Amino acid sequence: MSIARVLRGYAFTIAGIAIGVAGIVALGAMAERIVRFIEGGDRFVLGQISVAGAGMGMGTGFTAGGLLPSAGLRAIAAVPGVAGVQAQVMLPLNPSTSQFMTLTQELVLGLDLSVDTPNRYYPRLPVGEGRALRPGDRRVALVGSAFAASRGLRAGDRLPLEGEAYEIVGVLERTLTAPDRFVVVSIEDAREQWIAKDRLLRTVLASGGAALTAADLNTGAAVGWRDGEDPDALARRIAERVPGVNVQIPSELSRLLRSSTAFFSALLVGIGVLALVIGGLSLANTVAAAVFERIRDFGVKRALGATDLQLGGEVLVEALAVTLAGGAAGMALAVLLGLAVDGWAARTGQQLFFFSGRLLGGALAFSVLLGAAAAVYATLRVVRLSPAEAIRRGA
Amino acid sequence: MLEARGLVKAYPAPAGAPIRARDGVDLSVAAGRLAVVLGPSGCGKSTLLNVLGLLEDPDAGDLVVGGERVSGLGRSARSRARGRYVGFVFQSFLLLPSLSALDNVLLAGRYVGRTGPEARRRARELLAQFGVLEREHHHPPQLSGGEQQRVAFCRAVLNDPPVLLADEPTGNLDDANGRVILEALRARAQAGAAVIVVSHRADAVLGADAVYRMRQGRLEPGPPDPGGRAR
Repeated sequence: MSIARVLRGYAFTIAGIAIGVAGIVALGAMAERIVRFIEGGDRFVLGQISVAGAGMGMGTGFTAGGLLPSAGLRAIAAVPGVAGVQAQVMLPLNPSTSQFMTLTQELVLGLDLSVDTPNRYYPRLPVGEGRALRPGDRRVALVGSAFAASRGLRAGDRLPLEGEAYEIVGVLERTLTAPDRFVVVSIEDAREQWIAKDRLLRTVLASGGAALTAADLNTGAAVGWRDGEDPDALARRIAERVPGVNVQIPSELSRLLRSSTAFFSALLVGIGVLALVIGGLSLANTVAAAVFERIRDFGVKRALGATDLQLGGEVLVEALAVTLAGGAAGMALAVLLGLAVDGWAARTGQQLFFFSGRLLGGALAFSVLLGAAAAVYATLRVVRLSPAEAIRRGA
Repeated sequence: MLEARGLVKAYPAPAGAPIRARDGVDLSVAAGRLAVVLGPSGCGKSTLLNVLGLLEDPDAGDLVVGGERVSGLGRSARSRARGRYVGFVFQSFLLLPSLSALDNVLLAGRYVGRTGPEARRRARELLAQFGVLEREHHHPPQLSGGEQQRVAFCRAVLNDPPVLLADEPTGNLDDANGRVILEALRARAQAGAAVIVVSHRADAVLGADAVYRMRQGRLEPGPPDPGGRAR
């Protein structure tokens, strides 16, 4: 008997399994989306030492503190073990919103393009369309995918920032984390935007009372370490040797980030458990019911001489084929629905689902294993009956 | 070829003592013989056949098939013995609806290692012999009752079992199809099989070598069919 015929005979069973698996995959994809978000932020903060000036300033993004003047940057670069320092200006795109450290805020990130980005895990942001920023670029921007999607922007379009028109030279690939909402510009452009946004800063500069130059307008710096250096130890060394800086210890920042997302982590566990229980019960019940429905057929086969092993083997092969087909159909259903929902959500720059390979592979393996276990359980129940009893019950 | 001694089969009653459906049945059917068991509905004919065909375990007694004592075998050994020695024809045909007529016949060979072109040739030969070859790719729901029973008969004899058991094989058939099946059963006996038929039809005894009647769980010899072959 061909597998195709088996599958035709089990159409309703496959549909039942598909619905269960679709539930697992859809809920799992939502969990994966949140995981990627948290992991992306974690990976970013673990890839660099973030330094800001001491005190309270703009305090946006990943740094929190006051100005980090150019003298501070030079002092940091002189600390043994430091491989590179990149000055940064991080501003909220819309200063009327809270500057509370959040990974969902739209930010302007100004980078000193004359030096390499020292982040070990993000040495360069992945560009999906157009090009990356180059040293000497002015009035151009590289925008995050969610930022671009929410405004319908593409490479070549214009973006007004603080009264100036910026050409979008590139759109980042979707990272499912903070950079999706970034507008990356040169640090010189970011400093100008900062001054334009901040009346107090304009007043101080205009007064001439503070010995500030443009190079001193930094909200922070990304610091890289040499191979073999312990980043936490280096961060402490910077804090000891450079006065007036606020240094984030990478592992502590990671812990802070994870504790701030503890609610999401708990939510993920809940979603995962629910998906596995609901989807798994549905699948196991469907497979077991399909076996019990065929109790008469099994009675006939045993009447024809099928041993427990032969019958169990047949049921297992059929169950594997059926759960594989149902699992694949369920995954396809979930992916189609997820893409449709995400297509709608993309208008506001959102993505609700992330169908990772590990999720799809795991869901399929879970389905097949659970289906096989349910089939084996049902078969063991069936073969305990005499053939005559099986035929009678199935009549 | 098939010998039963003191077979007892009891069923648990909802309350009270077990029901003794069979009480010390002795039966011996030699190769090449056709035995018919007559009796009213519910008298235990099918239970007897199930026990003789290893579809149910007796509570007591011995069963020897093909010289092998099979009543004490384990579940898998019983299954193998069933496939090796016994063919069944059921009143309700019991064809698998998901399989074609040909595949239903071939199913009997699958569990005794009889697969491949030779089994296929034999199956098609049997279907042709019973006039249903042109229906080989049809599924049971697409076949008439008579056609289904002929396919079921082909399945029962694919492996040329030394014992053939038929439980009301004409119960769901019209007279014409019933005659075809009864004739085929007689032919199997003539070909050397031990054939046991339980039936309520009087014409089932035609050509029988031995006739029994079931009464209150006991098997009593009845008058042999005058047209039966010499014993």
